Amino acid sequence: MLRLDSKYVQMVESATSLADLHFLFQKAIELEHATIPPYLTAMYSLKPGTNAGPKGIIHSIVIEEMLHMTISSNILNALGGQPVINKADFVPSYPGNLPMGIGGGLIVGIEKFSKDLVKNVYMEIEEPENPIEFKVMLSAEDVTYKTIGEFYAALQKKIGELADDKLPGDPARQVTSNFFPSDLLYPILTKEDAINAINIIVEQGEGTTTSPLDQDGEVAHYYRFEEIYVGKKLVKNPDAPNGFSFSGDPIPFDAASVYPIFPNTKTDMLPEGTEARRRMNEFNSSYYSLLDGLHTAFNGEPGNLDNCIGLMYDIKLYAEKLCAMPFPGKDGYTIAPSFEFISPAEFLLT
Amino acid sequence: MAYLNAPRLIFSGDFLSDVSTVNNDTAHYNNATFQPNFQEFGKGSANGWWNPEGGAVFDFQNCTVQQLALPDGTILSDSSEDILIGRIVSGSEGRPTGKMVDLDPDAQMVSALWCAQLRICTPQNELLLQGDIATTSFRDIQLRQTSGAAVNGQALGASWTSVLTNLVWGEKAENSAFLKILKETTQEDKLALNLNAFGYYYNHAPDGRFSLGRILGSIGPWFKGEPETFAPCRRLYGVLNLKPKNPFVYFGNSNFQVDTAAKMLTIDFGNSFPISDSLGTINTTSTFILGVANNPLSNGASLDIQYLNKSDFIEIGLLDYQAGPDWLNKTGGIVIFENLPEATLQALENRQLVLLSPSATDPTQFGLLARESVDGYLVRADNFVQRIDTGQTNIINFYTYQWGKTLPNATISVSMEAPTPDTPVGPQNPISEIYGNNFPQDGLSYCTSVTTDSDGFGQLSITGNAIHSPRVYLDGQIYTFDYQLPTVDPAFGIENIIVHLRDYYAVPENPVWGDISQTMIQYANLYPIMSKYIVNLANPEDLQLKKNILLFAFSRDINDTMHMPVTRDLSDAKRQTILKWLNNPNMESKTPVFKSDAVSSPENPISPGTPLNEQQMKYKEAVKAKNGSMLSFPEIENPFGNI
Repeated sequence: MLRLDSKYVQMVESATSLADLHFLFQKAIELEHATIPPYLTAMYSLKPGTNAGPKGIIHSIVIEEMLHMTISSNILNALGGQPVINKADFVPSYPGNLPMGIGGGLIVGIEKFSKDLVKNVYMEIEEPENPIEFKVMLSAEDVTYKTIGEFYAALQKKIGELADDKLPGDPARQVTSNFFPSDLLYPILTKEDAINAINIIVEQGEGTTTSPLDQDGEVAHYYRFEEIYVGKKLVKNPDAPNGFSFSGDPIPFDAASVYPIFPNTKTDMLPEGTEARRRMNEFNSSYYSLLDGLHTAFNGEPGNLDNCIGLMYDIKLYAEKLCAMPFPGKDGYTIAPSFEFISPAEFLLT
Repeated sequence: MAYLNAPRLIFSGDFLSDVSTVNNDTAHYNNATFQPNFQEFGKGSANGWWNPEGGAVFDFQNCTVQQLALPDGTILSDSSEDILIGRIVSGSEGRPTGKMVDLDPDAQMVSALWCAQLRICTPQNELLLQGDIATTSFRDIQLRQTSGAAVNGQALGASWTSVLTNLVWGEKAENSAFLKILKETTQEDKLALNLNAFGYYYNHAPDGRFSLGRILGSIGPWFKGEPETFAPCRRLYGVLNLKPKNPFVYFGNSNFQVDTAAKMLTIDFGNSFPISDSLGTINTTSTFILGVANNPLSNGASLDIQYLNKSDFIEIGLLDYQAGPDWLNKTGGIVIFENLPEATLQALENRQLVLLSPSATDPTQFGLLARESVDGYLVRADNFVQRIDTGQTNIINFYTYQWGKTLPNATISVSMEAPTPDTPVGPQNPISEIYGNNFPQDGLSYCTSVTTDSDGFGQLSITGNAIHSPRVYLDGQIYTFDYQLPTVDPAFGIENIIVHLRDYYAVPENPVWGDISQTMIQYANLYPIMSKYIVNLANPEDLQLKKNILLFAFSRDINDTMHMPVTRDLSDAKRQTILKWLNNPNMESKTPVFKSDAVSSPENPISPGTPLNEQQMKYKEAVKAKNGSMLSFPEIENPFGNI
């Protein structure tokens, strides 16, 4: 089961000022971002016009990870901190561990979609503290470690202890968007706002301790991935032991309609002077531009989030075209978007 | 005078232009005859040309600052002389890239940059200078590659001239003496920018440069009262044709300026110097001489070489260029002649500059390659590409010059070109009838002459009247206007204003799917990148699923890079109808019509299939050369060997 280095929870618990929490919310932002490149790539590896079921589920989860990243950034701003998004160490090296030692030895890479990947990696990432078993379930192990949920719970508790009702950050730095309902993404101005917003992150990711649904009745990430794995929607079922079962509409998966992207493709693997290498550079250049745009949005220019929406579509187009492009020198493979942090200056220096 | 002034910065590198190509074919706009294979890669009208999945991205790549020119004529090219040299020139950061789009399938010779940004940064990516490139369409298309275009597919080049606006001077700009001078000379928060583009790749060549081209950039001061999309300078026009039946000339258009006080002449061959390959390599070793003609010259372009004697011109100097891959990319092709003698400067006040090459067989004879415009005249419309809706009036700004100085009280005549005939379906046009342009002639109201004021500045109003689908399946109409001074230079010809007048359309109170379906299906057909990856524009249910992002894009300002449609070819009324429908979807369909009323399309006054006149034929050939449908460009060995 998924572990988180307990030192981060200890750091939360030993905090004596809101400023002590800045680093930890920065880590939370990094964690929420870190799952996006692997999830997106798996989604892009599903060929256009196919596998609408799995694709739709992953898409809905990615959108919520983006929401969580935004909420964490808003809380950091509300606590008087400054999110840092446009620096090299913001981006994990794939394959590798997620930030904060999440998952202990869990290695997360950038790979094509498969049911095994969903089960062995994505469900591990999103696993709740005590997953509810719905017919088929992993057995619960002894809980001697901290989970992401516990980390966020500790943050909630600490904010409750340390903060005044009105949080010290400049309200003008709060980011909102028409792409999210205002009950999910709202300015974090008070202690209560922050505590409620953390609940959104945890429940969307894990569900509640008694239900696979969050407060809005949405299936939590863990169980949504499980839907893909099982191939059926999770639905209410009064006859099932926990009130739910994977007996809803089928979620068909056509394994033949997945691009054979080379796992954890890196720019260096592509020969210089090829169109493939250039396209990868264009992808990473756009990715850098997005991180920079988000940094701007979360550091006093919330209106720049609109530009970031445009960049997300640019990235999507570059990535999907890469997934369809034969890998030079690797027969039978296509190219995965590498999500490497390469600033414009580095493109010219290399 | 704009970008040729000093302080001047030269950069070079590559540009990316990921334009889409299904829309290069007018017949592809007819939904009724559209076939799926029109979205596939491949040549010919039954395919989607060379980049069907293009997304209109324009960006700078691999560009660096090469040289700095100071007001006294000094050229700096080593980074020890100014930190700016060697620095990266890139596009936007933190927002999407600029876009490059045509005005219309019937107006493909004025491809425009929209919403592009230019940034110069240190190796640590710290900003030195940033500016937004004001929308500009290219001009002065000319042949560049004398050895054909077998590798890259496109042998032509062209210029974008514009201004950088919304300037941001980075903190580190203080460390560049050059930038400090440039900042001091800046007026109205604008800098002049010229971009010479060539060597563009239609081909998926082994060098990986598909959809890249070379670009040479110059940035200099812009002064109040100057035009923005062309340089207010003097011009050399090429007069030596390449080959029989080939419309191109060597050294087609070159801008230059004379600074009498500084005794200096600066000339830009960045868009005209003949190159042998797509990267800007020069393989000619001919001698080129710049001079001032003693007698007026008014010859047009010809295969016959016109020779001048030594006594026919005052020599200014030899053109100091270097063969090989570097010279053009390092200097931008801009050459300075300094310490001009008084007699030369005086002669230049009212006599034509000439570019000559000495005869190999008779040392007393000099072949005329290019000459200055007749009587030194220059007239240009600044904002010469227009999109006009019914009832909208747009103002075109004109500037007139003679010998590099503003020309007051000049009369410019303006006329709408004659209608072009419809082309019925036939062996040469297999897909759909293609409708002609420039009709109905009363679609636009305008004055037929403009007189410039004491500053050589004049304005023309053009008002859009209601037109009712003269091109049936393709919105609006393309109108071309000719404008000219009383003297037309035979070596340059007449310049144009190009207008896309959109169809009259009344926004329905409660639009149903049938009101917008033909427009949306057309976009789905023409831009497969959208339907394949983002949203099936032809499917109303899918549109509703992606409603938020569509409302976001369709409601953005035309000067926002994320504006939809990216081609910026939709009338405000039709765009508002789409927004209304997205907000309140009614799935009812109706008989497919593009129009909102029962008015029938106007008849083309020219009979279908009427042969094109010479000018129309030339234009058609030029479009084919530009958009990649011309089969081959000439390969010329030793271009100046027979002089």
